[in-house]
Amino acid sequence: MSRLAPPLLGVLLLASPLFAACAPAQRGEPFTPRVRPASAEAEAGERVFMRMCNECHPGGAAGLAPALNNKPLPAWMIRWQVRHGLGAMPAFGPEVIPDDELDALVTYLIELRRTPAPTG
Amino acid sequence: MVRGLSAVLLVALLGGCYDLRSSDGGGMTAFEPPRRYDPADVAVPDGYRVELVAHGLTFPTAVTFDGRGGVHVVEAGYAYGEAFLTPRLLRIEPDGSAVEIARGDERFGPWTGVDWRDGAFYVTEGGEVGGGRITRIEPDGAQRVLVADLPSRGDHHTNGGVFGPDGWLYFSVGTATNSAVVGVDNWHFGWLKRFPDFHDTPCRDLRLAGVDYTSPDPAGGGAVTTGAFKPFGEASRPGEVVRGAIPCNGAVFRIRPEGGPIDLVAWGFRNPFGLAFSQEGELYVTENSYDRRGSRPLFGAGDLLWRVERGAWYGWPDFHGNVPVDAGDRFDPPDADRPVRVLAELPGEPPRPAARLAVHSSSNGFDFSRDPAFGHVGQAFVAQFGDQSPTVGKVWEPVGYRVVRVDPGTGTVQDFAVNRALPPGPASWTGGGGLERPVAARFDPEGRALYIVDFGVMTMSEEDGSQPRPGTGALWRVVREDRKVAGGAGEAAP
Repeated sequence: MSRLAPPLLGVLLLASPLFAACAPAQRGEPFTPRVRPASAEAEAGERVFMRMCNECHPGGAAGLAPALNNKPLPAWMIRWQVRHGLGAMPAFGPEVIPDDELDALVTYLIELRRTPAPTG
Repeated sequence: MVRGLSAVLLVALLGGCYDLRSSDGGGMTAFEPPRRYDPADVAVPDGYRVELVAHGLTFPTAVTFDGRGGVHVVEAGYAYGEAFLTPRLLRIEPDGSAVEIARGDERFGPWTGVDWRDGAFYVTEGGEVGGGRITRIEPDGAQRVLVADLPSRGDHHTNGGVFGPDGWLYFSVGTATNSAVVGVDNWHFGWLKRFPDFHDTPCRDLRLAGVDYTSPDPAGGGAVTTGAFKPFGEASRPGEVVRGAIPCNGAVFRIRPEGGPIDLVAWGFRNPFGLAFSQEGELYVTENSYDRRGSRPLFGAGDLLWRVERGAWYGWPDFHGNVPVDAGDRFDPPDADRPVRVLAELPGEPPRPAARLAVHSSSNGFDFSRDPAFGHVGQAFVAQFGDQSPTVGKVWEPVGYRVVRVDPGTGTVQDFAVNRALPPGPASWTGGGGLERPVAARFDPEGRALYIVDFGVMTMSEEDGSQPRPGTGALWRVVREDRKVAGGAGEAAP
């Protein structure tokens, strides 16, 4: 039991942002300046996001599913979640989102959540 | 190793959590009239201003402009929740008051669209009871039906009604069901009690896989088995051919303004609600996609914006966009089996959507910006009615209740007009005076003001379904800060 405690604690720490939003999930126009991808990779990531993620997480905010632009997940965990799914979220294999597109998507998602959140 | 273990434990912690949480749709709220109206509660990008044009309307669904730029709206009459009122065509005066031009028969509501051409209005009659119609209405109120008995007596209706650059009037007919199988959900809608034999009709012959679904029989008790494109309680056979016919469900048609036979443009849609032509003269439609309800529910299927190719099949009921419904776990409902394809042979390969919009957003009437002074030329401004959860499925937070701006070239979607509260929702949910349920967005003839038709309050509950509230609809418009547009009901109203 004691050997399991550290990883379990780590998981709980990592998972805690999933249960409690860290900041309002709304980002970009009309609340804040539009989120403009700062690099070609982020721009490519935005297109992947719109094709694969926007239906359930519109604009990165909550919709059918929880918000993902206010959760400080590390890049490796975002990749893992996309590849394996989580809860009701389906898995997206490399035949659906190739590795280079997944890299671009992660870059865009991290950029999205760095955009200041509105207050109110 | 630690990462992998952490991820596995995370799944153990969160797997299955989705269905433990209750839905939080924007309609799931109490409403005490009167509705408040306050343009200041609607956020738009810097440089734009929101104005209230008219209020106190009952279920408005569309706006158009006569030859002199006069603003006109249609009130639906019928609304989900089995509200049967009188559909009307209204002129909106500069002071925001409404003058009745014509009224329809409540059997032919909901009126869902209106356009103006060569001195007359062309109204799209949804036809919940009497079947869909397209009717020409003179400014003095005289009416002439151009086509009738369109198969609109189910979940979805005859929609749209917009003139193309070729001089034809384009309109659509939605499907009777969520995903081609009549079920108990249709009983709750109300129509299965009225029309127990009604079902979807394809536009072309389809060969079925013989996939059937068993459901309770709310009329006679016990259980019944129903196949795709079949009446409730009628099974299908593997290899059986269902005959196509015109008119049919889930299709876009066109008709000459003087009447005559309807012409099939494209098919295989679910509920193609909004129609608009781009500056290049290309037809686009918004499609309300699958719900998580009925005998064949789908999960995670967002609304779509399509560029319409003549003669193409758009995938319903075996695809969402260009993705098959049985693609991995993509559309698996958390509490039901993976959707199974009901067609033995595909009538075509669905194209790729122009944009993917939020699940349950009910992305409806839209228009393209064409004036540089307004901005975003070539982009589509789409009104999102908002979720009808819990009837259509669960949502984490309110979805829709806004106008989004879509770049059809890249598929990028951005909010354009949305209530200021965080998280945004309908005004009745946030407690503000902003938007309730935007159902159509259309530019004025000059392209300088974007008019937003706001259906009004429609609350939702598990027990009572949809509860639309008469007299709570409104017409808004968005203009550039530096532009003045004559008329309107004022900055705010009680």
